Amino acid sequence: MSRSAFVRSKVAPITVGVAVAAAVAAVHACSRPSPSGAAARDTVVVFVAASLAKPLQPVFAAYSARTHAVIQAESGASVVLARRITELHRIPDLILLADPEVFPELLMPRHVTWYAQFARNRMVVAYTANSRYAAEIAPANWMDVVRRPDVQVGRTDPAIAPAGYRTLIMFQLAQRFYHRPGLADSLLASAPERNVRPDASGTAALLAAGELDYIYDYQSVAESNGFQFVALPREIDLGDPSLASEYATAQVRVRRPGSDTTVAIAGQPIRYALSIPENAPHAAAGRRLMSDLLSPAAVRELRAEHVDMLDHPIVAGSNPPAELRDATGG
Amino acid sequence: MPLAAERAPGMPASSAAARGAGAIVVALAASVFLLFIVAPVAGLVASGGWRGLAGLGADRELRASLVLTAFTATVATVLGVIGGTPVAYLLARRAFRGRALVAAIIDLPLVIPHPVAGIALLLVLGRATPFGAALYAAGLRVTGSITGIVCAMLFVSAPLYVSAAREAFARIDSRYESVARTLGDDAWRAFRRVTLPLAGRGLTAAAIVMWGRAISEFGAIVILTYNPKVASVLSYDRFTSTGLSGAVPAAAVLVLFALLPLVALRALRMDERQGR
Repeated sequence: MSRSAFVRSKVAPITVGVAVAAAVAAVHACSRPSPSGAAARDTVVVFVAASLAKPLQPVFAAYSARTHAVIQAESGASVVLARRITELHRIPDLILLADPEVFPELLMPRHVTWYAQFARNRMVVAYTANSRYAAEIAPANWMDVVRRPDVQVGRTDPAIAPAGYRTLIMFQLAQRFYHRPGLADSLLASAPERNVRPDASGTAALLAAGELDYIYDYQSVAESNGFQFVALPREIDLGDPSLASEYATAQVRVRRPGSDTTVAIAGQPIRYALSIPENAPHAAAGRRLMSDLLSPAAVRELRAEHVDMLDHPIVAGSNPPAELRDATGG
Repeated sequence: MPLAAERAPGMPASSAAARGAGAIVVALAASVFLLFIVAPVAGLVASGGWRGLAGLGADRELRASLVLTAFTATVATVLGVIGGTPVAYLLARRAFRGRALVAAIIDLPLVIPHPVAGIALLLVLGRATPFGAALYAAGLRVTGSITGIVCAMLFVSAPLYVSAAREAFARIDSRYESVARTLGDDAWRAFRRVTLPLAGRGLTAAAIVMWGRAISEFGAIVILTYNPKVASVLSYDRFTSTGLSGAVPAAAVLVLFALLPLVALRALRMDERQGR
């Protein structure tokens, strides 16, 4: 008995060892680049604002198919993405955020020296055909419909997502625009904490699932998800650059998570911006992907995905890469 | 036997050496494994435990989330015990068609990735479904609510209760029940007066394991309910938004919190051994 037990106990680890080795080899073989693409295969780690993740998917897929690059995209709320760099020291090769202000606030000058604005957006009230009172809502009455007691309205976490604080700014602008004192607080109360999600795509998922009737989100998110939406007046939708000074008169204080300090955020026209961190592990690959995203073909493609791309990026900061000069047309 | 006797003279030296070497390898592997488990937890508590506990007075959000987590896990466990005990008993005691299937179904949540479990629950219990609409009309919504947290906890942790409770029932000699039945007890009375008390400790241990699993659940809960935040969601949220410095004290407190069921389980087993 002792002999057979000894044999068994000796065989078992060997069998397990062989099985593990075979499995590792198999996984390794699968993950290896095919011989044809092995020579110049890029790996690009990209941090993507949640509201951009869906439109970028087909563009990234086409880029991967064309260049055999491996794109590892991570999406989330813009402030969270920036904090991954500052707090967790995880450096991407390209970062695309929903608010250019996040760069100077959190990332410059230590991690980033420049950033390029590349797209616009507008706040809308998105809904689906199944939303309560979907047949009734219109630009003239949206603020009343969303405040009805049997309506569930969602918004995004203002502490970490630009869509979240932009919603609060839009509430203030709406109160003034419609001359309805107390409207901002009342709109906030009608979209309670329990309907708050961390980022712009999280609220969209709950709207699609029918859990929410209306969400405050970007027009691009509404369009790329096939939602219906109420377009807001340009005086309050944060979409018109010529109204920047009007927008700036609205200001909200946002509590930064985990601390008691708050930061003041003033209204600004919505812009998206990208950059390549100083210590990006695959900076050259990041620059190649960036050039591709800003190329006329990709701009067309992204516009077809409802991203309101600028004709030419607007660069701020120092030492932008040469690739950007081509894209800016100068 | 003669064979063994023939070999006997040569064996002690070599086999003792082999056994000694084997013991060293096993001990080494075991220590590395234990260290792998203990080091992160000990490191976390050592680096942030004191700060976390000291800050607990001021950190209202963390306190509220601990209370919420304990409460929802308790509700989920009570529901799991009520619903799972009969199932566990049937699986342990009765041979019926499809028993293997039922057992497999109950284990299903253990192998589903937890975010997927959350999405599945949303699809079944969401407001857009007939069942979800009925719940909603009754004032129970599964997203952004305590109901959602309890549903997610129940789904992922109940299988642990059922399998442990099933074993607890299986350990009891069914003859005790038979004796009670022959003395005139009906099936329910025999279960209540004989089986249940005998399985009591095992069932309690199973419930504690379920509670422990429930307080640690994250993936399914965060799909259904981001706010109010249970402890696991809060710790992840702090990690992603404030980084290590903000997350470590809260995480360390959560580790200490999670030790409660372990301590309870140990106490129960010690008690059991002394009781024998």
